Amino acid sequence: MRRLLWLSVVAAVAIAYPLLLSSPFQQRLGALVLLYAIAASAWNIVGGYAGQVSVGHVVFFGCGAYAAMGSYAKFGLSPLFGIPGGIVLAVVLAAIVGVPTLRLSGHYFSMATIAVAETMRLIVTNTDYLGAAVGLSGPTVPRNIFDLSFLSSLPYYYLFLVILAITLLITWWMANSRMGFYLRAIKDSERAARSLGAPASRTKLYAFMLSAALTSVAGALYAMMFGFVDPESGLGILISVKILIMAALGGAGLLFGPLVGAAILVPLEEISNSWLGGKGAGLTFVVYGAIIVLIARFQPGGILSLFKRRGKPGVDTGASHAP
Amino acid sequence: MLLEARGITKAFGSFKAVDDASVTLEQGDILGLIGPNGAGKSTFFNCLTGDLKATSGRVLFGGRDITDFTPELRAELGLARTFQVPQTFEGMTVLENVMIGAFLRSSHRAEAETKAHAVLERVGMSRLAEASARSLGTPGRKRLEIARALATEPKVLLLDEAMAGLNANEVKLAIDLVRDIHRSGITLVIVEHIMEVIMSLASRVMVFHQGKEIARGSPREVTSNPAVIAAYLGTRAAKAAAGHTPIELMGGPLT
Ligand SMILES: Nc1ncnc2c1ncn2[C@@H]1O[C@H](COP(=O)(O)OP(=O)(O)OP(=O)(O)O)[C@@H](O)[C@H]1O
Ligand SMILES: [Mg+2]
Repeated sequence: MRRLLWLSVVAAVAIAYPLLLSSPFQQRLGALVLLYAIAASAWNIVGGYAGQVSVGHVVFFGCGAYAAMGSYAKFGLSPLFGIPGGIVLAVVLAAIVGVPTLRLSGHYFSMATIAVAETMRLIVTNTDYLGAAVGLSGPTVPRNIFDLSFLSSLPYYYLFLVILAITLLITWWMANSRMGFYLRAIKDSERAARSLGAPASRTKLYAFMLSAALTSVAGALYAMMFGFVDPESGLGILISVKILIMAALGGAGLLFGPLVGAAILVPLEEISNSWLGGKGAGLTFVVYGAIIVLIARFQPGGILSLFKRRGKPGVDTGASHAP
Repeated sequence: MLLEARGITKAFGSFKAVDDASVTLEQGDILGLIGPNGAGKSTFFNCLTGDLKATSGRVLFGGRDITDFTPELRAELGLARTFQVPQTFEGMTVLENVMIGAFLRSSHRAEAETKAHAVLERVGMSRLAEASARSLGTPGRKRLEIARALATEPKVLLLDEAMAGLNANEVKLAIDLVRDIHRSGITLVIVEHIMEVIMSLASRVMVFHQGKEIARGSPREVTSNPAVIAAYLGTRAAKAAAGHTPIELMGGPLT
């Protein structure tokens, strides 16, 4: 009941925000928060719930971004038509990458995903068909509504809000299904989970594929809003890192963790960028580094875990009364 | 024949932790597996459940060769286990831990939850259902291991030192629980250092020493077997102890 109340409050604030704070800067900021929240929530499925910390998620983001822009640049279609293609591409890639790498534990998985993403960035940078270092552009002037090319950030804001809601709904449904339980169990002890019949490899792979699909949608939306994609904005490692940090800061493995993280970090970055101009980029790295250290040191569960109701402490206190 | 291992060998490098071990398990058995520390009991166990891939040998379940099956496939066939060092899902409640087992036979959450509640009731942990599993001590964790395994509705349950770290009273309760599990038709393999547990539960006993089976038979037969006493105490002590009640030598009566 309380949850429902909170949910309505959050939804109301989200719907009212761009109308109340209606300057172009504020609306754009809101849209960006939602966009990153979508990407971070998608990452959360595999990085948070399954505990497989992918640092190469930008590769799926890139699938969506390039598919959306490619659909216009190559076929003259609305970038919208690229979305299904981007999803298919991301899911297939996730399967190919996931089968060998999801067996790797901890840091090795993270490093493998970085390697895949960086390799992909290099390949794309050297592929003329994909615009090489220049990238691909979307329609400069919208031909019709389906091009989803707007000057104002307001339409993007509401589009992103809907997609975020769908992403969170899918995550919620997954977390409360057998798959979500299995993922949490695998995260704690893969060995025990398997002994109880949880097909660990398959479950992690499904989570990876689902996460990749949603990340690809985020990438497509990003490219549509900015009207172009290049290797840096579509496949740069910094995007992977941002997504990861947002989820971790807000609370990895918690439904609303990534949204909270995005709502804190995106404004921080945008504001510091507008104050410091180009020099802000360097600062961003420093801030992210500091956040990683702080999360690792003090609150591995993220901010939201501070508010999460814990299970009642047990009565059983152990073998203290041994003979 | 429910479960059969034929010539299982498990080598870590050149060291054979289990060397050509065979066993057969009939429906309704309680097989005790004993041996000194490092004898290879857990390793043998892990080969049966698929946690480790045997270097050579076959494992059969209900006549079917399951040597190449994954642990999860074996669980689905009806092979369940507990871990010597409890592998509690610490981020979950006690109930959720058991639900992971229950999900094997019921894919719906509500159904798994109902089943998990029933299992907790059965093992006497209902009171702790909503407690965080992290807050449990050793006895609670050991019992939770059993509860989770039971929730998978196994045909064979392998308990790896499920009573280590329990006090005398808790051991008695655990013995009652194992009896109850056995009565419900589940075949058991128990690895245990506490001889009283083996004596009161096992119908047959198999003794491991340095990876090899050195004796098998009824609990009474093996505990009076000189080779077994020698394995536990060394040859000289075994000679000195000749004529004494071996049970007392092998860990002493439970206090
Ligand atoms: N993964 C491993 N790598 C190398 N050696 C191992 C490994 N696992 C077990 N061993 C060795 O194999 C031998 C048998 O170990 P195992 O755990 O099976 O003994 P155990 O009979 O269960 O002993 P305990 O009563 O102490 O539990 C030991 O010498 C152990 O050190
Ligand atoms: Mg052992």
